[in-house]
Formats: sequence, structure tokens, C-alpha cells
Amino acid sequence: MDKARARLTYSLVAIVGFLTVCPVVMLALGSFSEGLTAFGRFTLGKYAGAYTDPAFFGVMLNTVVFVLGSSVLATVLAVFLAYLNTRTDIPFKGLFAILSIIPMMIPHLLFSVSWALLLNPSNGMINVVLKGLFSLESAPFNVYSLEGMILVEALLDLPIAYLIIAPAMRSFDVALEESSRVFGAGPWRTLLRVTLPILRPAILAAFILGVVRSLASFAVPQVLGMPGRVSVLATHIYEMISLGFSPDYGRAAALGMSVLAASVTLIYVYRALTAEGEKYVTIAGRGYRPTLIELGRARIPLFGAVALLSAAMIVLPVAVLLYTSFVPYTMVPSARAFSMMTLKHWLDVLNDPLSLLALKNSLFLAVGGATLGVLLSIFVGYAIVKVRTRAAGVLESLSFLSFSFPGIVIGVGFMWFFVQTPLYATIWALLIAYIATYLPYGVRPMASAFVQIHAHLEESSLVCGGSHLTTLRRIIVPLLVPGIVSAWVLMASMFVRELTVSVVLSRPGTEVLAMQILKFSDDGLWGKLSALGIIMIAISTALVLAANFVGARYSRAVAAGAG
Amino acid sequence: MEIQVRGLSRRYFSEGREIRALDGVDLTIPANRIFTLLGPSGCGKTTLLRCIVGLESPDAGEIVIGGETVFSKAKDIYVPPEKRGLGMVFQTYAIWPHMNVFDNIAYPLQVRGMARDAVRERVARTLEFVQLEGYESRPATRLSGGQQQRVALARALIAEPKVILFDEPLSNLDAKLREETRKELKAFLGKLDITALYVTHDRVEALALSDLIAVMRAGRLVEIGTPQKIYFDADTRFVADFIGRANLVKARIRAQEAERTLVDSPLGAIACQRRDLPVGAEVTLCIRPEFIHVAPGEGAGENVVNGRIESQTFVGETYESEIRAGDELLLARIEPDARLATGDAVHFRLDPAHGLLVAR
Repeated sequence: MDKARARLTYSLVAIVGFLTVCPVVMLALGSFSEGLTAFGRFTLGKYAGAYTDPAFFGVMLNTVVFVLGSSVLATVLAVFLAYLNTRTDIPFKGLFAILSIIPMMIPHLLFSVSWALLLNPSNGMINVVLKGLFSLESAPFNVYSLEGMILVEALLDLPIAYLIIAPAMRSFDVALEESSRVFGAGPWRTLLRVTLPILRPAILAAFILGVVRSLASFAVPQVLGMPGRVSVLATHIYEMISLGFSPDYGRAAALGMSVLAASVTLIYVYRALTAEGEKYVTIAGRGYRPTLIELGRARIPLFGAVALLSAAMIVLPVAVLLYTSFVPYTMVPSARAFSMMTLKHWLDVLNDPLSLLALKNSLFLAVGGATLGVLLSIFVGYAIVKVRTRAAGVLESLSFLSFSFPGIVIGVGFMWFFVQTPLYATIWALLIAYIATYLPYGVRPMASAFVQIHAHLEESSLVCGGSHLTTLRRIIVPLLVPGIVSAWVLMASMFVRELTVSVVLSRPGTEVLAMQILKFSDDGLWGKLSALGIIMIAISTALVLAANFVGARYSRAVAAGAG
Repeated sequence: MEIQVRGLSRRYFSEGREIRALDGVDLTIPANRIFTLLGPSGCGKTTLLRCIVGLESPDAGEIVIGGETVFSKAKDIYVPPEKRGLGMVFQTYAIWPHMNVFDNIAYPLQVRGMARDAVRERVARTLEFVQLEGYESRPATRLSGGQQQRVALARALIAEPKVILFDEPLSNLDAKLREETRKELKAFLGKLDITALYVTHDRVEALALSDLIAVMRAGRLVEIGTPQKIYFDADTRFVADFIGRANLVKARIRAQEAERTLVDSPLGAIACQRRDLPVGAEVTLCIRPEFIHVAPGEGAGENVVNGRIESQTFVGETYESEIRAGDELLLARIEPDARLATGDAVHFRLDPAHGLLVAR
């Protein structure tokens, strides 16, 4: 048994090691070679070229402002929301759960596009309305700017930040605050001197995750930055490999190396912080409910702010896409607009062979990729949680590594690899790269599912006379089903919307949904874009509902069929 | 069924160090008795239990249950746990959270392929035995700690095994419930013809439940005996100290008599229960606090020790007092109505039968 486990662990280390280390190594090799896609002689020229480019300084500056700005904004908003929800008497607390989950179903690309439709300077709907109302000369907002990018990216990172900070606040021992009040500090001083410092690990963790995500962000800078000529590292790298006569994968790799190094470092800081946070807080309230702070007259205005934020994050983006998909050209909603509504864009998209191909490819990648990814995640989760040898520790670090992978950069790494293999330009290249990049989304739910299965639950089945197979069928798998379902849903919905790895790796014939949407965006075909975007959101939602349905049915079947 | 363990060893490697969880254990557990493995945490008692049930494989040795060899390193025999036909109650109870009470208890019969009606009837009977009638459809997640314990016991008993194993089954219950459950468990086991192997670190539990106790330390068996033997008549200082509160005084054998052994100690010359130890040997004199019956004033005579009360703590049924006798500080119990004050001179006479000598 021990031997079989060791063999399993080593083969997993080999597989996961290939998936995560291979693109990194290829990226490094590529950054030092001459030649464009095949390996050539050793050179430092790519680094010299990339980092002495006169445009590089401006790109770097934009990147720093964009990354820090959006992470700070997302973290501040998250602390504000988490505090309101866990510690005050703000009404309609159910809204907060929605606010933290639903936005994750809206792909970043579509979110960016919808804000472009609302706030672009020439015919953004909010701008047009405001211009009309206040008879302004020019549009009051321009989303095609660094500020616009920061705002949209912050809204995208907000749910994750909230999901890190809110549980920390909930498990926070209120006695620590109460004692501060008893010793004479007012609520504000208590907040600044006691509450926030104790929550520092969680807040810092949320901030760092925000930095990693916005550093890797491609959709926002591509959709909102490009029209205003605001480049950040991700779009700069993309330009190198997509524009001009000769895409230079060597220079892209040279730049990518520093983005990757920064991400990997930050993600390990993040991991250390979350481990720190766990030993720091969590003094469970043992059924004791803290007294909620009464907001008094501020209650309604604060709730208004939260409602506005919810509208900005969920209602507006979906509504504007839906609306745009039905009107013949961009116009402000009016009686006339509604009377002109047509199914033209929908029919166009459904008759467009490229869109249909992209749809087919994305569905295949979502279903096939998530299934394979979850299968691998089950074994990896098992090895990490139940085997616990040194090799399993290596496996854990490896599978965590891809959490830091910026999609564009890792795509370039995989490009260097696939070009040497017959997989180049096939859908299998995408499938492998997807699984490698999003492996933590499968491993984490599986690992926590395995943690919940105490070894005794397994052992008692053996002692009761159940064979290993019976134990697997009647005890382990049923207890794992919720984890499997959530891992599958997470991976599949990531794959349906995948953009950043695909823009590097996909070739004619292997287009995916997000690329087709990006193409519509580049061409300004907003109607078709919206129709296809709504289809994408619908697929994500359908996947979630279907998986939940299957999971619930399976659990019932196991419970009922036990006799 | 009798269980025989011969030359059992089990090593672990942890952070580059070798840990001997079991170090050549030889043991015979007689049939139809409650046999307890007692020892501090890390002494190997749980490892021994897990080797017997088959959840761990020893590195050397042999295990025979009821005449059938279930493990032998030399003969390369390993019967997996599901084929050993034993019952076990886990420390965490290991009640499967996705099943109701009925399915949890019926599981051992279901995996043996018993007919549905027979299973239903047996489950009902077993639930009645553990006093959980009518709980069949209760979800496992909605049971109290005591109820989980009974479900775990029912599941271990339902297939009518000849041997049942308990791994610290009461350690998850609060103090009051633990005492009740312990009595119940003893009553349940008394009604069955079953060999029970019980692992615990709680000496009161071990004394109250067992027919025989084996004390373990660092992977080895130190001593086996009835609760009375272990408590009053331990062979080793470790066991005497571990099984109850004891005053341990250094002493040296002066002479051997027919019924008694005489020692020199800081308390003076003391006559003790006879032990075959050579004259001049360094030993430990072990006196349990409940056998020190103090009286006011000074006294004289054989085995009389004089001292002063250094401190007293009222703990309800008694005063726990420290008595200064020479350089030694002895723990004693004093009746609450004795009207003695700190600093008072007291004396006591030690019955030689309660002076226990153990090798140092």
C-alpha cells in the first residue's frame, strides 16, 4: 500500500511538474535564444532589446500605477463592505453574499466591454445621458484612460478581496474590541488601533492577491487601455507577439520573466500571510453573537452606496450587454430604441461560422478540460492531504505555483514548448495549457474535501468488513462529491471564458469564445459582441446549475440506494 | 477469542529521526475479558491496537487472533482489516456524516451481503441494546456526542465479532458524560461474551473498566496485572507513579524478614511489604496519600513518622495537606473535621502493607 502510494505521488509530481515547470523553463530558455520561435544560439540581446526600448519606461510606469491603484481600491472597498456586513446593522445582508459570488460569473472581458459601452467618451451611454442632462460640451468620463482601467479592474478584484477579508472579520474575537472600549477608546480609535491591525494579515493577503491578479490582467488593459494608447506590461507583451511583421517571442519572454518572477514571489508572500492569518485570528465565537454597531442615520445612505456598487458590478454590465445585443446600433435607451429592437445580431452570430467554431471549441475545452483537470486534481488533492510524504509536499508547492501564473506570460512559455511538438496549433495545446494554468482551481476544492474526510471514516469502513472498493464507493466518493462538483464548476467556467492563454496559443481553427469576442471588440461590432457575450454568460450559468443538480441527485441516490 | 502478540515492532521515521512506536512487544490477551492498554501519549498503545486491527503493518513479529495468524512478518502473512472480522470504536467515532443512523449501523451487515429484512431486524435489536430505539432515520450529523458514541458501539457490535477494540472512546466526551458512559459501557460489555481491547491514557477509566491492565511506556510493555495489583502492588516506579498519586521517597534496603522488608529512608527506618531485593539496594518507597492517616501531636513506635503541616487546601470532601517530615514533603488527605491547622505537629503510622518498594 505504501509502495503504491509512493508510486502515485511520484507520477503526480512528474505530471504536475511538467505542467507547471515546463512553461517556466521554456520561457527562460526562450528569453535567452536568438531566433523567433525555434531555439537558436544563446543571446542576451532579447533582454537588452526589451528593457532598453524607449517605450518601456512609460509602460512600466503605467503598470505600477494601474496595479497599485486597482489593488488599493479593491482592498479598501472590500474592508468597507466586510465591515458593514459583519459588524453593523445594515439592512439586506443577503446582498453581500450575492455581491461576492455573482460577479465571478461575469467574464472580465465582458465586464470591461460593458463599461466601455457605458463610459466611452464618444458614445458611452452614461456620458451621452449626462451630456444631454447638463448640456455639457464634452463627455464627463473617459473610461479609455488609466483611471478608467483602475476603476474597472478594482471592481473585478473586489469579490476575491472580500472573500478573504470577510471570514477573517467574522472569526474575529469581539472581546478584543470590547476591551479597548472598556479601557476608554472610542469606536474610531478602536477600529484604527485594534481591529484593523489585527486584521492586517488578511487585508495584506487580499491586497497582494489583487496585485498578482491586476499584474496578470489582460482583458481590462486590452479593451480599455488600447483605444487610449495606455499600455501596461501585459498588453505590451501581447503587442510584441501579435503585431507587426515578425512576432518576437524572445523579447516577450524576456519581459515575461520579470512579470513571472514578481508574481511567483508575491504569491508565496501571500501564502505565508494566509498561514500567519490562520494562527493570528480565529477565536470562534462559540455561539456568541457580537453586538452590532448601530449605524443610525447613516444606515440608509450607506446601504445606498452598497446598492449602487451592486448595480455597477452586476446589474449594469449584464443589462447593457443584453440591451446592446438587441438594438441595431449604439444608442441611449429610449422609446425609439425599444421600438427598433431586432434579433439581427443574434441571427448574425448564430450564422457566423467562426463564432460557431469558437463556441464549439470553448464548450469542448470547458467540458473536456474540466473533466481531465478534476480527475488530476482528485489524485493531487489525495496525495497532498492523505499521503503527506516529502514528495507530496513538493507536489503541493508545485500545484500552488500556477496560481501565480500570468496567463499571457505562461502562454508565451507554452508557445516555446508546443512549437517543438506536433501539438502546436491544435486544440490539445490549449487543453494542456488551460489545465496547467488553472490547476489550483481544481486542487484547492479537492484538497479541502479530502481534509474533511478524517482517516477514521475510511478505516472504520475497513474494520467493518468493507473492501477497499466498497470503501471507495460507499464512503469516500460520496463524501467527495461536493468537492468534485465545485472543482468542476470552477474549472469549466474558467475555461469557457479563458482569454489570456488563448490569445497566445490559439491559431486559425482553434479560436475560442473570448477571442472571438475580443475580435468583435477590436472591430467595434458591439451588437454581435453582446449577443455572443450573453451566450457565454448563459453557458457559465448553465454549467453551474447543471453541476449542482447532478451533485444533489447523486448525493440523494447514494443515500437512498444504500440498502 | 484469545489474542497473541509476539515480538511486535513498529518503527516510524519522522524528520530524519527513528521513532520506535513498538519495540518487541509480547502479549497474550485472554478471551472474554476487558483488557486495557494504558500509558502516556506516544507510548505506542494506539499503534499496538491499530496493528491488531490491521490498519498498520508492523515491521516485525506475529499476531494471532483466536488461533488464526493474521500477521506474521516471518511467514509473510497479512490479513487486511476487512477480513479480520473485528469490531472497533474509534476515538472520533468515525460516524459517516452522509448516512443516517440506520445505514451507519447496518453497514457491516450490508457489506457482508445479508438480506434486507434480516438487516433491519438486527439493527433494531442492536439499537435497543444501546438504548437508541427509534433513531434509525436520524441523520448522523444530528447526534449528540453521547449518541454518536452509542452508534459507534452499535456498529462495532452488530456483526457479533468475537473481539472489539476501543481507541480512547471516551476522550471526546465531557467529564460528567464520560463517567456515565463508562459505567454503561462496562454494563454492555458484561452482558456479552466478547474480548475487549481498550486503549486509554486515563488511569481512572482503566481502573474502573478493566479486568486486566497492561501499562506501556516508550513502545514496551512495563507491567500487566489486575487493577488492584497495578494500583497497590506495582513492580516498577513508573507504574506506581503513573497509576495514581504517590509520595516517592528514596530508600535503601537494610534487612529482609519473613513477611517484611526493612529500609532506611529520610523518614527513618520503615518496615514495608516484602520485596525480593538485595540488602543495600537503592529503592523507592512509594506511599499513596490515602494511606497516610495523620493524628495530632508527636508519636513514637515502629513505622511512626513525625512531621508538621506545611499547607492545607480544602477541596470539598477532604483537605489535601502537605506534611513536612525531615526534608521530605508528603502529600496526605486529612478529614475535613480533623481541626488541624497549618504548622501543627502531626504523626502517622504506616501500615507495612501500604509501604510499596519499587526498584529505582
